[in-house]
Amino acid sequence: MLTEVLQGSDSGGIVIIRDTSSYSGRDLLKYCINCALKREEDVHVLGFEVPEQELRSELDSNNKHLFHFHNAYSDPLGWRKQSSFTVEQFSAENITRLVRETKHAKASVLVIDSLSWIERHHNPVAICQQLHKLKKGGAIRTICCLLHMDLHQQGIVESICHLANTVITVTAVNNALYAEAKTTHRKKSGKVMQEEEFFTVMENLSLSIEKRPSQSGHAQVHSDAKVDPASNLTFNLRLSEVEREAKEKVALPFVFSQEKKSALLKKGQGSGRIIYEPDANDDFDEEDPDDDLDI
Amino acid sequence: MFPELNSILSSSPENFTEGEFILLSDRQADASFLIHHYLTFYLRARCRVCFLGLVQSFSHYSVVSQRLGVNLTQAKEKGQLVFLEALKASPGVLLGDESSDKTAALDYLRSPCPELRGLYEFVWNSLSRAGGEDAAESWGPPVLIIDDLSVLLSLGVSAGAILDFTHYCQATICSQLQGSMIALVRCDDEEYDEDEESSNYLLKALSHQCSLSLRVEGLSTGYCRDIHGQVEIWWRGRGMKNQRKIFQYKVHDKGASFFAPGTSRAVL
Repeated sequence: MLTEVLQGSDSGGIVIIRDTSSYSGRDLLKYCINCALKREEDVHVLGFEVPEQELRSELDSNNKHLFHFHNAYSDPLGWRKQSSFTVEQFSAENITRLVRETKHAKASVLVIDSLSWIERHHNPVAICQQLHKLKKGGAIRTICCLLHMDLHQQGIVESICHLANTVITVTAVNNALYAEAKTTHRKKSGKVMQEEEFFTVMENLSLSIEKRPSQSGHAQVHSDAKVDPASNLTFNLRLSEVEREAKEKVALPFVFSQEKKSALLKKGQGSGRIIYEPDANDDFDEEDPDDDLDI
Repeated sequence: MFPELNSILSSSPENFTEGEFILLSDRQADASFLIHHYLTFYLRARCRVCFLGLVQSFSHYSVVSQRLGVNLTQAKEKGQLVFLEALKASPGVLLGDESSDKTAALDYLRSPCPELRGLYEFVWNSLSRAGGEDAAESWGPPVLIIDDLSVLLSLGVSAGAILDFTHYCQATICSQLQGSMIALVRCDDEEYDEDEESSNYLLKALSHQCSLSLRVEGLSTGYCRDIHGQVEIWWRGRGMKNQRKIFQYKVHDKGASFFAPGTSRAVL
């Protein structure tokens, strides 16, 4: 499902890639950009976290002219007075204007790298509002964002992801080359689909997916015939017919059978009698406390 | 510098990766020996170094570097090393003396100034000058070393401001000038809750940005005379596969030795 969602030219909407420091989702974001370029769509990137050459490398060379990088990496706060795009300019109006300035291709895709950077400077509510406006605005068909889950409180992550049609959570798998992606996709009909897949993004930005990696050896063992533990021993563990019958006849010591019950209820002869002389202080109740038992 | 660490990281003063952001961190241990390593490494590599000494005095680093074979005073005089001695300059800033030019760098001490912009300007001014002023000497790529960032949290600077500062340093020094940046973050075990102003949060955020991370921890079994702790080296670079390796180390008088876990000379 990962490939369909990222290559998908169907509905657009908001796609959020969530990652942690143990595995960066940027490769998947680059794959997403590449797919959009192959579909001949305008890609506008708000790049806060990495410089342009890192995102541009390995992209599809045929449509590189459709790739527009708005540099918010060199000077996002205006400290050097050379800013191209500052974090303050993050608003639906500004972005729509930027997108409309460039020549129109079939549709526009906005890529935000990353929302976590913006969240440090803007209220999460404001971010959600702007994203919503962009989604409804019409100038942009798809918005693809990167979000670092481990840098925000869970509530903020969930509120931002609530806006999205597709949420892809990438996590590292112990010491493996591939990573795990959990995709939750909400279709226009309202149906929600979820899938877990293992993937790697190759050097040339192609995606290689495995459904579930073969756990070495474990699956095979169960399909073998059950091994008989009593074979190949130097002593005999098996029972003959006679022995088996005798074994089944043995009464187990703590099983409460009919004979034991009647033996217990018979009054024994010569058993000791207890004579009890109550003291003045004793609280002696003549009633039999076991009166209500029904034996 | 420590030759063993150089071979583990496959770098040497003659041949090292440019544009790296190296994050040093520690938890229940002291990673400052790595700061001394990098300081002497880059001075040996003839790079211009800007050192933000926020927690120790110049003489402290000078004495240790002497033992590692590098003369800091000479480097400072030649203009190779620019050293911000924050401890010495702080009382002046706090008490309102207008004198030195370093006051803008320490603006963060004067609340309510939440930005580290002044500090960034100081770094930029120190490192952006090409080696052309001292005619004969042309130094290698610029290097920024910060010791350490967690003390800024204690001084009232917000984690967001620190992250903005490191972002700008990385954008200018690593990406634009192709230099390197080394920062130390010291963490406390007690801050495990998801506080957005803790060193743990700072460490997580910086881990996303760094290309190489060295995490120093004490041994989980406690103090040991022969093994001072373990270092987890995590290569995070772009295009490089995520690779992590753990080494144990022991700090000596004139260096530190690194070995695979369980192979300390005391144990074998």
